[in-house]
Amino acid sequence: MLKIAYNPSQKFPLSILFLPILLIIIGLLALFSISVNQFGVIAITAFTKQLLFMIPAIGGFLVILFIPKYIIHKYIYVAYGLILALVAVPFLLSTIAGTHRWINIGLPVAFQPSEFAKWIVVVSLARYLSDHNLEIKKFSTLIFPILIALFPATIILQQPDLGTALILLTPVFPMLYWVGSRPFHLFMILAPIFSIGTAFHTVSFTSWAIIMGIILYISRPNLIFGIVFYFVNIFLGLLAPLLWNGLRSYQQKRILTLFNPELDPLGAAYQTIQSKVAIGSGGFFGKGMGEGTQTHLKFLPVQESDFIVSVIGEEFGFITIAFMLVIFALFIMKIVNLAYHSNERFAGLVLIGIATIFLSHVFVNTAMSTGLIPVKGLPLPFISAGGSFLLSCFIMVSLIIKMGMETIE
Amino acid sequence: MLKSKNLVPRSRLLITYLFISLIFLILLIRFAQIQLFEYKQYKKRADINSIRALPVSAPRGLILDRNGHILVDNFPTYILTASPNKVNHNNFSIISSCTGIDTSSLKSNFKRYYRGRFIPSRITKDLSFDELSCIEEHKHELRGINYSQLSERFFPANVDMSHVLGYVKEVDRSLLQNINSDLEYNVGDLIGWQGIEKQYEHLLKGEKGILYSQVDAFGREAGTVKGIENIKPLPGEDLFTTIDLGLQKYMEKLMSKFKGVSLITDPLSGQILSFVSSPDFSPEIFTGNTTLHEWRNLVNDPRKPLLNRITNGLYPPGSTFKMITAIALLEGLMIEEDEVIECSGIYQYGDRLFKCWKIRGHGKVNLDQAIAQSCNIFFYQAVQRISMNRFINLCRNFGFGIKTGIDLPTELTGLLPTRDYMNKRYTSRGWSRGHLLNMALGQGDLLVTPIQLSVYINKIATSGETFIPHFDLNKTPEPVSKIILKNQTWAKIQNYLFNTANSINGTGIAANPKINGLKVYGKTGTAQNPHGDDHAWFTGYAEKDEKMVSIVLLIENGGSGGKIAAPLASDAFEYIFYNNRDRIVNNVENSI
Repeated sequence: MLKIAYNPSQKFPLSILFLPILLIIIGLLALFSISVNQFGVIAITAFTKQLLFMIPAIGGFLVILFIPKYIIHKYIYVAYGLILALVAVPFLLSTIAGTHRWINIGLPVAFQPSEFAKWIVVVSLARYLSDHNLEIKKFSTLIFPILIALFPATIILQQPDLGTALILLTPVFPMLYWVGSRPFHLFMILAPIFSIGTAFHTVSFTSWAIIMGIILYISRPNLIFGIVFYFVNIFLGLLAPLLWNGLRSYQQKRILTLFNPELDPLGAAYQTIQSKVAIGSGGFFGKGMGEGTQTHLKFLPVQESDFIVSVIGEEFGFITIAFMLVIFALFIMKIVNLAYHSNERFAGLVLIGIATIFLSHVFVNTAMSTGLIPVKGLPLPFISAGGSFLLSCFIMVSLIIKMGMETIE
Repeated sequence: MLKSKNLVPRSRLLITYLFISLIFLILLIRFAQIQLFEYKQYKKRADINSIRALPVSAPRGLILDRNGHILVDNFPTYILTASPNKVNHNNFSIISSCTGIDTSSLKSNFKRYYRGRFIPSRITKDLSFDELSCIEEHKHELRGINYSQLSERFFPANVDMSHVLGYVKEVDRSLLQNINSDLEYNVGDLIGWQGIEKQYEHLLKGEKGILYSQVDAFGREAGTVKGIENIKPLPGEDLFTTIDLGLQKYMEKLMSKFKGVSLITDPLSGQILSFVSSPDFSPEIFTGNTTLHEWRNLVNDPRKPLLNRITNGLYPPGSTFKMITAIALLEGLMIEEDEVIECSGIYQYGDRLFKCWKIRGHGKVNLDQAIAQSCNIFFYQAVQRISMNRFINLCRNFGFGIKTGIDLPTELTGLLPTRDYMNKRYTSRGWSRGHLLNMALGQGDLLVTPIQLSVYINKIATSGETFIPHFDLNKTPEPVSKIILKNQTWAKIQNYLFNTANSINGTGIAANPKINGLKVYGKTGTAQNPHGDDHAWFTGYAEKDEKMVSIVLLIENGGSGGKIAAPLASDAFEYIFYNNRDRIVNNVENSI
């Protein structure tokens, strides 16, 4: 079948499929373990659901595989317009689980359009950035690509879904870097965000101030510009806590809730602690499948999706975690490698964007589960339960194969 | 554009690789830190810091009588549970020595309630205080064994009426798969399984709560958990029934000698005041520790105590059915009031002989006398003026052959033999109008339930304006299906029933307690029964000062309705109306 659709002289980088399949197996094992002790409606467990979700995921994978690359390139802006409309649709519908993330499609499972926005934004950016006439070294050139990602991200932020909104924004910078923007320009855009973000923690802020100084020294911009830039950032950082304290508590709460919809002061910390205890008590070899007392007794509310790593860590141990991380690393590097060897800028950019999406998912999810960063609900690719996300991941794998296809000659 | 060359310097690839490696290195170090270097610390915490979520069952709503007397109450008992992941099989022998229950039944309970490795499974219930303290003494040896409270149903009112109250059943694993309900159940929960308990399950059930507690490695509670709110159980709602406890007890006592039925309702509201299906059994048989032997006795008792005779007993109605013929005749203007028919005690139809119960015959009787004296010959002849379809339709309008809609989970429709039914059963040549003659007397293939007969007499008592019989006191009564007859017809029928219970020759005279101002109406029946002696029927109603009650009495194999059933009705009326005892009915008025 594949041979009909494609020129047999072209080689697929199909070997890359091997890595996601390993990840899926790890995920299914963890879900199976959770489901063993789930009682209630018999036969409908996280595990069986995930197995069922494979069907649409593989379907999506094949559909994308059979669409020629030039068609994707040609119509991606149309898809972009559609997805903008789709992420706005849930606002017109009643909320599911208190948010506007999902669209009820008359099936037992709801559909989450923002999942698809991730790769549509990446492909749109790739098309925009692969234009010959782009003066990539100019700072002003950076504005429009950022807007491409920022626009849907802003809508999704209102759903509210900060995690997905951030994921939408992250590919912009690696893609700009890949296409040849000046790293210092990217630094200029990101610096104020870091300045404000680190401002609430003295050590972080001091380190940041030092790093910023070093970077400015190395990059050697115009002296006056460099000094002004540095102090504006420091000033922003110093001002942030003052501004924050000047807010009334309900206003603070409103902002915090925007950034963390599940926020509940005791609850968030509690989840992190429980997750760490679960992972830590797993040790090197883990407690064995179905034996995780923390997993099965505890109240990690989303242990089948956002906190799946706690289950794996507790029951399958550090050895499996390390194995999983290595596979993720190999997978992402392999994508970058394909991007490097690609002879088309468009394909290379799509690959870099997808690699970023996977990388940020893995980082945010595992860092959150181990208490490195605040609790932020993002699933782990191929492993967490969830239909829309699985479909989205499969589509991205399909895109990887498609974009990597002609690079091997 | 698609073909834009991709010229990426190698340094960029290396920097990207470096960045990715760095990220994964951080993650790997973090996991190693938690899982390898801080392993002991977390392991300890995992062991001692476990949180238990105990479901707290919501107390079921009580069932009360119309005056607030409790019919069904809750009674707390202690149950013992074992956590499968911690329990040691030696534990069972310790528990066995404390409670005197053998280990094999403890183990079989353990299996029966098993819900998963980390969920405590129930091993025994109804622990006494001594047994509890014995277990508490051995606490250090009994890891994973805990006790908790559970409510059971108990019945303080000392009435039987188990057919009405029904019972609750514990949900076990096999049952869980067969429950078809939008309410949520877990193993060990109680579910209403019969009677009112089942019918009003949604009201009585309540919602479970969750109690979070911190427990240490030995399963001992170490206080509440910070940051998680316990969820309080929501008790079930109490159900006030229309039953009058005093009357119920009185009627149960009256009926205790007999096999049969006594059903007292208020025709003006459809409320059921007393409901006796005798022989009855104590509802307590379903709680506590009923032995298999006791249970077998109940199931195999030839008197069938488990049968709810009022909704599920099928009987020929006998002469109580004669009003149908009378109404059909009056409605169709097919009879003059002073028209007389000669009863010689015997009547020949075709090649069959039909007899009157009075062997010498009633002589010349009109419709009024024919009902009052329950003359069969009169009806054998008069019914021939009515078409079969007309007769059957009228029966159906009075509620025969269809369910009454009483608020109990099960009810039979009885058997109203239509033309189609007769053709199927006897072939179209195999039956004749002779069968209709039998049906006019409430015999033949016709079978009714006592609750249908109650709706029938209530319709007559209220000229068709009665309500569906029900137990829920707070329910707005639902009118029965409409039946439209001439006012005159109603008045005449009511008058005939009055004469039956008041004239010297009336067969129902024994049902009249002769209380000042009390008007008694009724009809007796003596139904032939192929399986034994005749069934004695009385169905009627009494009114005083615009208060009304109706009664349906059946004594299986009791013989003559007038002699056996009617006097019991008199006792009931006397209890209700004599000496200000009519407070029951007063109460009816107030509650409407």
